[in-house]
Amino acid sequence: MNQGFHIAVCGSLVPDPLQTLEPIAGPQGPALKNEMMLPAVLDPWASHALYEAAHLARQDGESRIWLVSIGPRARLQQLMMSIAQKAVFELVACDGPAGGFTDAAEVARVLADTVAAIPELDPQRLLLFGGCASASRDAGATLQMTGERLGITEQFLNVDELTVQEGVLRIKERIEGGRYLVSACDGPPAVVGWATGMLPEPPNNPQIGMQNMRSIMPALQRAKSVTLEAPELTFESVTVPQQRRDTRIVKDTPTDEIAAELVQWLREDS
Amino acid sequence: MSETPRQSLDVDIVCVGFGPAVGGFLTTLSGELTDEQGMPRLESHAMPGMPLQILCYERADDLGFGVSGVVTRGHALRTSFPDLETADIPLAHAVTQEDILYLQDPVGASRRGLGLRTVDSLLRAIRPVLPYADHALRLPYIPGFLRKEGGLVLSIGQFNQWVASRLMSTGLVQLWPGTPVAGPLIDGNAVVGVRLVDQGTDRHGQPAAGYMPGMDIRGALTVVGDGPVGPVGRQLDAHFGLPPGHHQREWAVGMKMVVDLSPDCELVPGTVLHTLGYPEPEIFGFVYVHADRVASIGIFVPSWLDSPVRCGYRYLQHWMQHPALWRHLQGGTLRSWGARTLQESGMRGEPYLVGDGYARIGEGSGTTNVLTGSGVDEAWATGVQLAEAVVELLQAGAPLSRQNLEKTYVERRRGSWVETEARRAINARNGFQRGFLTGLAGMGVTGLTRGALGLADRSQPVHSRVPTPEEFFRGKLTPADVLRVRQEAATRGEPLHDALMQRAGWPQVQYDGKLLLSQQDAMLLGGKVQAPAGYADHVVFVDPSLCERCDNRLCIEACSGQAILPGDEDSPPRFERDKCVHCGACVWNCTRARSSGEERTNIEFQAGAGGLHSAEN
Amino acid sequence: MEEILYIAHTDTGGNLGRQAREALNAALVLAPEGKGLAVAVFGRGAAAALQTLGGCGAGRYLVAEAAELEDSRYATDVAAIAALVDASGAAIVVGPGTARFRRSFPGAAQRCGGRVDTQVTAMEPAADGLRIQRWYYRQRMVATLARASRPWLVLTASGAFAPWSGTAAAVDARPVAVEAASRTRVLGVETPEADSQTIRPEADVLLVAGAGWTKKQADGQTHAAQAEQLIREFLERAQASLGSSKSLVDLSSEGEEVLSVFSHLNQVGQTGMAPRHSKGLATCCHGEEPHTVGWRFINERRAINLDPNCGWAQGKADVLYVADAFEVLARVNALLTPE
Repeated sequence: MNQGFHIAVCGSLVPDPLQTLEPIAGPQGPALKNEMMLPAVLDPWASHALYEAAHLARQDGESRIWLVSIGPRARLQQLMMSIAQKAVFELVACDGPAGGFTDAAEVARVLADTVAAIPELDPQRLLLFGGCASASRDAGATLQMTGERLGITEQFLNVDELTVQEGVLRIKERIEGGRYLVSACDGPPAVVGWATGMLPEPPNNPQIGMQNMRSIMPALQRAKSVTLEAPELTFESVTVPQQRRDTRIVKDTPTDEIAAELVQWLREDS
Repeated sequence: MSETPRQSLDVDIVCVGFGPAVGGFLTTLSGELTDEQGMPRLESHAMPGMPLQILCYERADDLGFGVSGVVTRGHALRTSFPDLETADIPLAHAVTQEDILYLQDPVGASRRGLGLRTVDSLLRAIRPVLPYADHALRLPYIPGFLRKEGGLVLSIGQFNQWVASRLMSTGLVQLWPGTPVAGPLIDGNAVVGVRLVDQGTDRHGQPAAGYMPGMDIRGALTVVGDGPVGPVGRQLDAHFGLPPGHHQREWAVGMKMVVDLSPDCELVPGTVLHTLGYPEPEIFGFVYVHADRVASIGIFVPSWLDSPVRCGYRYLQHWMQHPALWRHLQGGTLRSWGARTLQESGMRGEPYLVGDGYARIGEGSGTTNVLTGSGVDEAWATGVQLAEAVVELLQAGAPLSRQNLEKTYVERRRGSWVETEARRAINARNGFQRGFLTGLAGMGVTGLTRGALGLADRSQPVHSRVPTPEEFFRGKLTPADVLRVRQEAATRGEPLHDALMQRAGWPQVQYDGKLLLSQQDAMLLGGKVQAPAGYADHVVFVDPSLCERCDNRLCIEACSGQAILPGDEDSPPRFERDKCVHCGACVWNCTRARSSGEERTNIEFQAGAGGLHSAEN
Repeated sequence: MEEILYIAHTDTGGNLGRQAREALNAALVLAPEGKGLAVAVFGRGAAAALQTLGGCGAGRYLVAEAAELEDSRYATDVAAIAALVDASGAAIVVGPGTARFRRSFPGAAQRCGGRVDTQVTAMEPAADGLRIQRWYYRQRMVATLARASRPWLVLTASGAFAPWSGTAAAVDARPVAVEAASRTRVLGVETPEADSQTIRPEADVLLVAGAGWTKKQADGQTHAAQAEQLIREFLERAQASLGSSKSLVDLSSEGEEVLSVFSHLNQVGQTGMAPRHSKGLATCCHGEEPHTVGWRFINERRAINLDPNCGWAQGKADVLYVADAFEVLARVNALLTPE
């Protein structure tokens, strides 16, 4: 009998990708200028993980989804408004920093502890979902360490497709050269770090929003405060490269001449 | 293909648009929803046994995106938040200093009539005895009706987010950004809710992958606060008409930047500068200085600037380079950029405020006061008034009917300072319909006599007063010049304004990569515009044949984001949604009236997702 | 200096790829001439592959060659890395940032009680250990950092280091036993058809196409079909990889008459990838930072644009050709045609 999956999606907020970012030295290490004013979105890859989780859960009636997020409570609250109409989930919130300079190992520690403490979550049915990397820390390491801490030995990264046939997970991972590695895993528990997946962003569904909000606000109020400190890690500098090139402008030149110059350049050994 | 059913959701109150008006409404209402023990005072009719179900839908991708920086006296805000600390709201600051600058034309391209040229000559002649510097006269006196003493400089984006955060943490109301409302659900003459936009469609609104018909959200009360060009408000106006004698013929596009000022800038936080006189006499400007060397700067390009190429962006660049402003702005860096429409008809444009099942608040209900230059405070106040009325009715178990809302909300509004000041302002701008100096004189007289005296309203619909480029540039450019520019622009698929303004004497803008940027770069760096797929285009050319014949495509020239561009030959303009900042200027800049005979133009501005992604504006 | 372990896996043919050689050079920065360096290889044909690195001068060589290590699979890979790290006793572990290691290195670090950094673009020895450089916020800013934890596992970013070009030499390798069970079976690799392949990480040239390709051209018309053909021809003839600006990908997802050659996988810039190629040619692109971060790791950059103020060019490219990309690319393609 298929009892369904228990899917814990790890993901939090990152700056809206269109924003201009500038690092500053904060009291706790590097941070972003105006971090609290920057519009934020759910990490794009984690969003895909959430949509894939919702898609998977729809295929049987018994799966459950938890979204496990670490971030400043007020910012998480705001983030929920933009995602809670898209997929049914139960929020498990931790009130803590969401910036990219927090160490992946620390984040993994808190995530693993938080997932392990979800009362109704069955570790044998667990699919630990998340993005293949965050758009902030951009390391692609947190999810695997979280999985390790939870004792999950079957892990997949950069996943674009997961299908289930008779309890076996068939998974496609992006590898070099635009190719896919295809694997079969004998069911949960497993870690799946999603790339973009194959699903479009779900529409906003007000009924889903209504349903989610009944649990989201209490979850935010329950959010435990967490600290993410990595005293072993020292940032010496964080900078935005400002290198300007001396651009040679070629204009009023016949097409043939430009093309010839380009072809010569393309053929040169670099 | 099986038809996807349209779903429906029953709630008690549904609000459209999250701005200051709905912020005021929900803040006041949520304060009355629970007793001292936190138990619900009012039970839901839609979901018996539950507390009152209150939802608000906002079309922008997040709350506080793409609105505006303001200076406000903040009366109503301080009443709602008696302990308001400006430090709690990012970019908020108390007003510390106010000045009005009359800007003369340092480049010689501005369109100034004989009267104004005479004034300018006189000022130059006696400037040694005047507070005159950098081609600008600092007015020695600011009339009381314009002063914002004791007020606040705000980023409305940040203010809205602050309000939203407080509201959400109560758990009593739900705010849903990224959810455009297509229009009201009208049953007879009652509004019974709203319909959300269809999702999963192509650009023409036809079902595509993931199609989901927009859900019907039904409620006993629909609170319409969707601003000056909101689709719900506009459809209500179309259905019910405007009250006799009312019209909406005064608009402006406000275009602004948030700027990181240079370290050398001497402007102190809380400084408010108003400007008039340049780049065209009709264009007013502002500088509001926030804390931490940040300023909001911008201009208003009004509908009575009768130019067929009134491009806010181009004017904004010339305005900020005026020596009296550039001395403060030079070395600054763009942080955020945006534009929006202002409904400047005020009370004269007031729609029916209530009907069975609905009430209108905020700018779309005519709250903007053009005499005092104030709108946020008024919008907030009308939200508060409606909330008080709704609580009164719900507690009495009375239906939210037109009659009951008239007796409670409308009466409160009529008896309030909002109404008193709006009445004083009703004729304040009439003179501008005839000319800049007449307008200034009329406004001064109206302001100083508290509305007792004013010029008569001789307005005409905006679309009917815009001259063609050939007419407008007569004397500066020959018809052959204009024709050549038209042909070149059509071939390149570009607007006319840059070429025409250049030929008419406006200097080419030398980009500095920081504040002086191409319009597209301002959008990329400051506006961060996005347009999600799966929605129909929200700008629609209603009768394409009217556009095909149109030789005065101001919609293209005035488009704040260059999202409306020349289409193929003999075709309507092209709309590129991914550049649209949802300012709504196209609606009133269209020069062709709809054949239905109303004062509506041939552009429909519908509910659309996406737009600016900045909450600093 | 601390003990350094260089670790690599072989590919399905039993070879060590370019990235593996880049990582070896990175390790040699920390252990000049191989002093204090252990070299480990696992996977199919690991023992033979190890000999190809024999000229690096490392003090020790380790190998793991069990059948279950031939496939790329998390459980077995992590077990192998952890066993090799343990056997080496190294404090700092350097490996190539291949897809296989990006998946397994972090878990191995956790299992070894260490820390990990990925996508590392520079390393330098310091008196108290090591400084690395890596990027944050989708290549928007670069940090220099140090860690006190050991073992410290470091994955190099592809293309950030020159590949090691030393010679093979016979070396004695100590076999390391790896015990791992897994519930995962590798079924195979799906390769896109040759003519539809537009992402070529190993290519010398990246062609970045912007939304300008879909706009009206000099004749007042759009020419999407012609644009697509020109781009496809160029990719094929120059064996180039294709990157796309966000706006162009967005247009594609809107079902506009655009270029079917693009998918979200092609997207570069702040919402996409920042690939590494030695040359890049931007065509019809527009936009300033942060859009141009897709350009960041391209060494030599040229751009074709009708707008001399093109944000991808001014101050960012080496050469800007103010010209019609349709005309130029057609001519370039003709010149690139094999005789």
